[in-house]
Amino acid sequence: MKVKLLFFGATADTVGKREAELWLDENSSADSALERIFAEFPILEQTHQKPSLLFSVNREYSRGDEIIKNGDELAIFTAVSGG
Amino acid sequence: MKDDFWEITDQPLDIGDISRRVVPAECGATVTLDGYVRRFTNGRETEYLVYEAYEPMALKEMEKLVSRAQEAFDVSNIGIVHRIGKLEIGETSVVISVASPHRRAAFEACEWLIKELKRTVPIWKKEVYADGEIWIEGEGSRD
Repeated sequence: MKVKLLFFGATADTVGKREAELWLDENSSADSALERIFAEFPILEQTHQKPSLLFSVNREYSRGDEIIKNGDELAIFTAVSGG
Repeated sequence: MKDDFWEITDQPLDIGDISRRVVPAECGATVTLDGYVRRFTNGRETEYLVYEAYEPMALKEMEKLVSRAQEAFDVSNIGIVHRIGKLEIGETSVVISVASPHRRAAFEACEWLIKELKRTVPIWKKEVYADGEIWIEGEGSRD
């Protein structure tokens, strides 16, 4: 199944794009999707501290155990700095 | 409350307009935070800032903050507006406005809201210097 992956700010600069498509196995968890993202974009781990990156599923911070569905919107980004 | 508002815009912010958009009849004070672009951060001179948002998620997170603040503090009305795009030194990046019957709750809610916004709302700031630029990470812990 296919999902949308978004990058913002520093992670968009790191991968050189703002959006990508990602193919995942059916019933993938958010945690396994995140591992796929690190495998697909190794530069993320080379550039950022892995635990410092934040991950969202359908515009909510991920708990890790959600089951990803076809067409979901995932995003990976650094700690926020608005204000 | 029904008149609460939370917005993201690429237009300049009018603090007075946002602060006075809602003046509830039962209130005696509105506390308004005017967050703006500082020239010097840790001694380094910034030329300008660029803010970027994950807009639909940022709006959801702002809505959550407003409803949590409504539960936690005795306030009547809350408005939050964050600007994105390129901002010059001294320009307002965020306005948080809290109206309450008595001022103490408004001060406390306003402080809580900016602290949480900096921690949870997916907006990022890039500081641009004469000799480079950097995306700031986790500003929330700084102040």
